Amino acid sequence: MTAGPSGLSDLVRRRELVFLLVGRDLKVRYKRSALGMLWTLVNPLLQMTVYSLVFSTIMRVGVPQFPVFLLSGLLPWSLVSVSATSSAHALLDNQGLIRKIAVPQAVYPLSIVGSKLVDMVLSLLPLAIIAAVLGRTPGPSWLLVLPAIVLAASFAAGLSLFFSSVTVFFRDVRHLIDILFQIWFYLTPIIYPYEYLAKLPHPAIRRLLSLNPATPIVRWFQLVLYEGRVPDLRTVVVATLSAAGALALGAAVFHRFEDRHIHYF
Amino acid sequence: MGGAISFQDVGMCFRMHREKVTTLKEALLGRFRHLKTADEFWAVRGFTAEIRAGESVGLIGHNGSGKSTLLKMAAGVLKPTHGALRVEGRVSPLIELAAGFDPDLTGRDNVFLNGALLGYTRRDMATKLDRIIEFSELGDFIDVPVKNYSSGMYARLGFAIATDVEPDILMIDEVLAVGDERFQAKCMDRIRGIRERGTTIVYVSHAMDQVQALCGRVIVLHHGVLAFDGPPEAAIATCRELQGFHAPVAGTPRAV
Repeated sequence: MTAGPSGLSDLVRRRELVFLLVGRDLKVRYKRSALGMLWTLVNPLLQMTVYSLVFSTIMRVGVPQFPVFLLSGLLPWSLVSVSATSSAHALLDNQGLIRKIAVPQAVYPLSIVGSKLVDMVLSLLPLAIIAAVLGRTPGPSWLLVLPAIVLAASFAAGLSLFFSSVTVFFRDVRHLIDILFQIWFYLTPIIYPYEYLAKLPHPAIRRLLSLNPATPIVRWFQLVLYEGRVPDLRTVVVATLSAAGALALGAAVFHRFEDRHIHYF
Repeated sequence: MGGAISFQDVGMCFRMHREKVTTLKEALLGRFRHLKTADEFWAVRGFTAEIRAGESVGLIGHNGSGKSTLLKMAAGVLKPTHGALRVEGRVSPLIELAAGFDPDLTGRDNVFLNGALLGYTRRDMATKLDRIIEFSELGDFIDVPVKNYSSGMYARLGFAIATDVEPDILMIDEVLAVGDERFQAKCMDRIRGIRERGTTIVYVSHAMDQVQALCGRVIVLHHGVLAFDGPPEAAIATCRELQGFHAPVAGTPRAV
């Protein structure tokens, strides 16, 4: 063993630690609340109710079975945005541990992604029930959500690694990140259909928005969960590229700066 | 089996920014100002020593002499800025007792969490759990969140875990100052047992009598530089001399 940064093998060896940290997060989060783990299921439902009221009743987006459409996109989006915004605090909150025990620091942001991933997978259950009630009974295309979950988790992991490291050097990021993800949310077709993007008047804006790396991943979820279709090849390729790209970027930045974090706490 | 540590001209140089750049604005506006005010501070400099398998080495020196920095480098928490450091074997650092405890989890959960932080599997820890509970004398408190523990209970559990995980190298940083006398004696007994099994021990303390009782070799650090490396009596004398301190002779009242 040598002192210093951790490679991937080190991280794989410490997977049990990641699982324990995920368990810790879930346990602590739901302690002393009457509903406990049920909040994981109730939360997206409450969010869905609010958005459905606003966008299908007041603003009339005109999507049939809007709640199903909305939740299909909102679940992967929440995984990505909540992971990244929570990870901005991951290293700072665990600095006591980082200063004392040599563990690959990536376990802290990655365990956050893990715990949000558990939330998302559990949330598929209320989505399936709502879909069935509204007459969009889940079909075989639902099975294709599995690769999409892997991609969404990789994308979330990449962003979480990136933001957890950057925040150590620039604390402003903690405050900027919420607004950044709010803007990103509206630029991603979650509350409005994907087709709206093609109808935008300015070609420059259309081109710019087509570069949004979150869109193909969210789209994949909507295709298999809402539309009941097999995702087209273009979506599959672009979603895979953007997840791999985000993960590579996050891992590279994190690895490059891991040793320096401790000097900036 | 004991592990070994090899320090080759190891140095740890901190850059101390008077105006630490931590916000975007400062980074943009203060690019040049902060370069001017970056001070270097050598916590440890040119440190060369071999700690061989099965040795018990004491590390003494004044406050801020670099003992903890050296320990943190050996534990892999800090990466040396200069020189080469090789550690062979699994390190169990007692850099601070109960370092990896989560206050909201029970003692039992924390045993597993701490074990995982030190690199042990759940199954490993399950076999050690009963012994850890017994040694820490926590009884039913093991299922209470540790935030409700007294500092003594905290320390006992931390000590019980770190010394039960059978490390190759046990690093102890001034931990026996906690707990009552009886428990301190129990801890010393356990450390002696660990030493006899061949585990390498690095012991940092200001309690010279404990260092003398436990270590066959003592290294003295003075302002980050190795000042002495040899038998305990001579090391303690050197250490006191360097600080211009003369221990009061027992029985003689100190002049005021």
